[in-house]
Amino acid sequence: MSKVQHDRTHHAKKATGKGDPQCFKGEAGPAKFKVGDRVRIRDLPDIFYTRCQVYTRGASATVSAVVYESPAAEDEAWDNTDKPEWFYSLVFRQKDLWPNYPDLFANDTLETELSERWLEKA
Amino acid sequence: MSSRKQLMKHYQLVGQLQPALHAPQHAPYPDTIDHALYRAYTRSAHDIGGEPDVPITWEEKEEEQWELNTFATCECLAWRGIWNAEERRRRQNVDLGQTQYLGLPYYGRWLMTAALIMVDKQYVTLTELVNKIDEVKKRYE
Repeated sequence: MSKVQHDRTHHAKKATGKGDPQCFKGEAGPAKFKVGDRVRIRDLPDIFYTRCQVYTRGASATVSAVVYESPAAEDEAWDNTDKPEWFYSLVFRQKDLWPNYPDLFANDTLETELSERWLEKA
Repeated sequence: MSSRKQLMKHYQLVGQLQPALHAPQHAPYPDTIDHALYRAYTRSAHDIGGEPDVPITWEEKEEEQWELNTFATCECLAWRGIWNAEERRRRQNVDLGQTQYLGLPYYGRWLMTAALIMVDKQYVTLTELVNKIDEVKKRYE
């Protein structure tokens, strides 16, 4: 019988004394976007797992913070931590997300975090 | 041990638990699944923000002991490196499928997932797990 051996200590070894996501600092290379940039959310296939909400796809947002480096959720969900990405905090106008959002609340915004793979220049 | 009658009732209930696309849908021919339907079927079950729904009643409720125990068990699995938080979320929010995601209590999904990862990663066999559940159930018969 073949039994798979799982490495159960690699994450503890990497994160102990630093924390997560701090332990991935410096592994994602230069950030592609900066605070104030306008970006559009890509509509990548969402099979098997994603944390990128469908309602953000195709909508434009403004980068409000470049927050940290970490494996994207879609990789980390299978314990793949080899390719960390930059994460961005993004501000959307609610009116850009929901077709029937009332004009009375035209200034309302929604803020969420996504990893770099989901973003393209708007 | 469930009676045959209970098992037959189980089949009826499972039939009612099909995702609510009100059209004949068992084993469809490939040309009946267009891109929109393919996407609807393959989406992550937990990405429900923006879906039309009706208001539900909010009820204040304290956690039950089994729910607290389940939480502690899942945290221990993380502490011992069996899974990370994202893998846990993937398994309990998406891998279970839409019917169980919507149909089971929150910590029920945690518990199912904790059992499944022990089998998936071969820390116990399904045979051992099933025999243990059977043994425990008999204590209450």
